[in-house]
Amino acid sequence: MIRYEEATKRYGAGPPALDRLSLEVPAGETCVLVGPSGGGKTTALKLVNRLVEPTSGRVLIEGRDVASTDPVTLRRGIGYVIQQVGLFPHLDVAANVATVPRLLGWDRRRIDARVDELLDLVGLEPATYRRRRPEELSGGQRQRVGVARALAADPPVLLMDEPFGAVDPVTRARLQDEFIALQRRLRRTVLLVTHDIDEALRLGDRLAVLAAGGRLEQYGTPAEVLARPATPFVADFVGAGRTLRRLDLLSAADALAPAGSAPAAGGDGPAVAAGATLADVMTALLTTEGPSVRVVDADAVLGVVTIDSIRAALRRGTGPQPDAAVDGEAGVT
Amino acid sequence: MKRWLRFVVTPVALAAAAAAVVVWAQHGADGAELAVLRTGRLWVRTREHVALSAVSTLLAVAAAVPAGVAATRPRLRRLAPPLLFVANVGQSVPTIAVLALAFSVTGIGFRTAVIGLWAYSLLPVLRNTVAGLAGVDPAVTEAARGMGMSPGQVLRRVELPLAWPVMAAGVRTAAVVNVGTAALATFVGAGGLGALITVGLDNQRDRILYTGAALTALLALGVDWAVAALAEATGRGTR
Repeated sequence: MIRYEEATKRYGAGPPALDRLSLEVPAGETCVLVGPSGGGKTTALKLVNRLVEPTSGRVLIEGRDVASTDPVTLRRGIGYVIQQVGLFPHLDVAANVATVPRLLGWDRRRIDARVDELLDLVGLEPATYRRRRPEELSGGQRQRVGVARALAADPPVLLMDEPFGAVDPVTRARLQDEFIALQRRLRRTVLLVTHDIDEALRLGDRLAVLAAGGRLEQYGTPAEVLARPATPFVADFVGAGRTLRRLDLLSAADALAPAGSAPAAGGDGPAVAAGATLADVMTALLTTEGPSVRVVDADAVLGVVTIDSIRAALRRGTGPQPDAAVDGEAGVT
Repeated sequence: MKRWLRFVVTPVALAAAAAAVVVWAQHGADGAELAVLRTGRLWVRTREHVALSAVSTLLAVAAAVPAGVAATRPRLRRLAPPLLFVANVGQSVPTIAVLALAFSVTGIGFRTAVIGLWAYSLLPVLRNTVAGLAGVDPAVTEAARGMGMSPGQVLRRVELPLAWPVMAAGVRTAAVVNVGTAALATFVGAGGLGALITVGLDNQRDRILYTGAALTALLALGVDWAVAALAEATGRGTR
């Protein structure tokens, strides 16, 4: 768990880079810091591993103020991935991944085994890639090695600064998918910085939207941020397409027409699975003649969805919560 | 294979050329010339020359590398301009003038010559150390710090290995320049192959003059090869 308490950073005079940030990231969740440049996202991230020290306020990991831990020791316990990857060009892939275990003084055999395990984890065949140099890798492969290096000593907390910023869109989408799958398995507490709202919505269990001057505009789940932008800035930042984006976050089961209503009785038209997104449902609706689509789960028909029931679902709200343990400590819920 | 060949061919060719020069120098030399050009005498002059160049270059490395490291630390960055200024002065002032200045303080001999050569070779080492360290990708050093390396570990494990090729080029320049400049050491009585050149000039003995000049040139080529080989060997072993 990471907790910011009134964390402020000023560089010289003028407006702060980060202005009294308070929020809490529950253990095992991915929190995305998102916003335009100048919003203090990277500053906020670097407060956690003390590459930046706060002007006032504090940051706690598992209830412990990071300022009370020696920075070198602290950083060895936190995974760190940066945009330009920052692989050591004079070392091969295995030595790069082994950086933190070596600093921690693991024995050789344990390091070798761990390196192979991690390369497998990020989808790089160890026998092929161990001895490669960073310059011999593609952008996507470098990024994978960067993630493997960050995970090497099994840190509970992972900081990622624009981790998929330096690759082409196709690779980027694939790396995002891999990240989602990896995080589902590993359940680390992840703090991820991006300026890309689509990436934020895809990867985040929670979003912290930061505006210029380092102000936190809203903190909530992607569904909440899309459904109820807390400020005009957030509404503007998530953009005109936000209604369409919400369709990706809601499922067919969220938008069933009320039982007993006229459309529900006249159930007809194409079928979609209960887990399908509303975007899929819309596609089905747009390509059928009739006014509704049926929602099925296995063989049972759960009900129907119409344009009106989708409107109602969007008005209602928020869609799925990331976790049961939402205690609404900060931001808008 | 090609690299291996280059490594062997160069020193063998240089040694053969030096042997040819010695044979040519002694063949048909008269008594006075032979007094200077005896193999034993040439050997003494060469050793003096090597000692002058090697000691001054090593001292320049010993001074300029730590200075260059210091000048690239965030807290001491202000040191860089004045340090480079001093080193620039060292190289801009003609060596013969530096030797004369040093002579007025430390008198005649080896020490004076070494001081002059040292001042002259500081700049290439310092400049390349600063350039090499400044050229390390900041993303890489930040990753190293973020990973939990102490400042000393970042320097030893990341910055110096990455800056090494550039630094080594500076050492190579300094060493080669020093071999050439050490020919002037004879003016402060420190000997070296320059002594042959001055004796040859003073006595209008071209044979002696040419021998000194040719051996100096061959020595410079040999040193160039040796430093390059050393840099490559150490660079490859960096981990």
